[in-house]
Amino acid sequence: MTGLLEVEDLSVGFRTERGVVQALSEANLTVAAGDLLLVVGESGSGKTVLAHSLLSLLPRNVNVTGYVRLRGQDLLGLSPRELRHVRSRRMALIPQSPASSLNPVRKLGGQLLEAARARGLSEPAARARLAELLCELGLDFEFVGGRYIHQLSGGMQQRIVNAMALVGEPDVVIADEPTSGLDTALVDTTAAQLLSISARGAALLVITHDLRLAERLGGRLALLYASRIVEIGPTKLFFKAPSHPYGRELLRALPEREGKSIPGLSPELTALPGHCAFADRCPDSFDRCVESLPDLYPVRDGVAARCFVHAER
Amino acid sequence: MSSIATGVRAGSGQTYRRLSRFVGGVPRSVVLAGGVLLALVVVAIAADLLRPIDETRVDLDSILLAPSGQHLMGTDEVGRDLLTRVIHGARVSLTIGFFGALLAAAVGGAIGLLAGTLGGRADTALMRVTDAAASQSHFFFVLLIAVLFRPALGGSGAVMFAVGLTHWPSLARIVRGELLSVRERPFVAAAIGGGAGRARLARRHYVPHLLPAIGLAFVLTIPHAIYHEAALSFLGVGLEPHKASLGNLLADSQQALLIGGWWVSLFPGLMLVVAAMTIGTLAEYGRERLHPRWRSELEL
Repeated sequence: MTGLLEVEDLSVGFRTERGVVQALSEANLTVAAGDLLLVVGESGSGKTVLAHSLLSLLPRNVNVTGYVRLRGQDLLGLSPRELRHVRSRRMALIPQSPASSLNPVRKLGGQLLEAARARGLSEPAARARLAELLCELGLDFEFVGGRYIHQLSGGMQQRIVNAMALVGEPDVVIADEPTSGLDTALVDTTAAQLLSISARGAALLVITHDLRLAERLGGRLALLYASRIVEIGPTKLFFKAPSHPYGRELLRALPEREGKSIPGLSPELTALPGHCAFADRCPDSFDRCVESLPDLYPVRDGVAARCFVHAER
Repeated sequence: MSSIATGVRAGSGQTYRRLSRFVGGVPRSVVLAGGVLLALVVVAIAADLLRPIDETRVDLDSILLAPSGQHLMGTDEVGRDLLTRVIHGARVSLTIGFFGALLAAAVGGAIGLLAGTLGGRADTALMRVTDAAASQSHFFFVLLIAVLFRPALGGSGAVMFAVGLTHWPSLARIVRGELLSVRERPFVAAAIGGGAGRARLARRHYVPHLLPAIGLAFVLTIPHAIYHEAALSFLGVGLEPHKASLGNLLADSQQALLIGGWWVSLFPGLMLVVAAMTIGTLAEYGRERLHPRWRSELEL
């Protein structure tokens, strides 16, 4: 299956004084137009690195191998000029915290217009497009345009960055931790907004550690653990019956389920084991788990999990 | 003490005081400083209209006259009208202050921007040069440059040049520091993620952030420049002696002071302090105002 966005064997390592920090290992993903893919994992599992590597936003001390293709075009070898084009017109990033992602010393109108103009719209067209888009999001362009970002509420700030991402009708929208620091009511609003983005036909990638948001959004889900995708499949199935022991333990740790946290810590990214990274925390581990690295084995209905339990079947 | 009673009295008094401390949302001291400075600038610009006496005209019949209706600030040792000379002096000093500070801002801004944008070795080299320039007592260099360039640039040109070439290090540091911190802000990363190139980043994000700092440092340098003009002229290496700058007036007043002519040094001295203080007050207020978070809170 060829998708809109294809990630093939993508590995990202940071060269540091303590050695190479392996932030992402051999990730494979395919996202089709209109798809919703959730990338879920705990802090340090490689979610944000995955999002940033798609847009080549990583710092300089980085080793990237593998491929990222957008409609068949390789994104990792682009010239700065082509890269700017991709970033402004074809793939949009909704940044992690809206309040700090906009220039605090400039009024929003100018910044919104600048974003729209960068996407190739003429001044009047940009104005009309923004007014329309903000109206759909429940904001008035004239009102927010004359204000600074800190003068808006959290929910309004989120809608502003959403509008900025959507104004160029991008093929792919990446939302990086859209609910970090938001209260429950705002999480609901954000979820609704994200679903409306997805309904516009853009492929939507949501990076989150918020399992409740993930459950609400649906779509497909990729679970990351210690830089690897350990489970991928329909979100509904994941929440009904996760296939990887880590997914199962993670859901069990939710307060409304058992509230029982997983013992132990995830491994250091500078010294990832050559075997299953979850083996020493896994209640089901057996000999083979500490001997070699499991592949992503197909489980059922489009679900795949990186666990020898499924290799046995 | 009956704290309740004093509390109530203090309360109403405070409200009144709080109201009277601000005029249209601006502190009274700032309004006052602004008004005085504006008056100074207007007087300096319209000097020839306001006081149509030649400030260099010598009148040996009216030597060292105390302030009177005819000579509001008195006259000096050769009978020149002191008010006229102070007005002209203020004009010269403000001009030198303005352009000297402008030169300092241009040099400092350019070096800071270069260091901050280039980074790496260029940054290190530029900042070490800045450190070296800042580590020396700058008055020595002011003196040196003023003396060296006096023949080529004339008195006032040499003073501006001397101030410009010695007061840039702090400005360069401010600009570079601001630039380095702005570059790491999430909104810059977000702008890059949105496809902004280097030119757009500089124009839309760096410069708007740096302008308040540069502008403020520029204004704060003006009083320095004025003081340096005064000091250089006082030492005889500033403006040509016949020119009425505040520094020259003060230099001339030494003799008069010894024979009881207090007004000859008082009025130029007052003018110097008033000019420097008003600019300083405004700059201080500008620092608060230019911070948009504070500004919008004042508006709301």
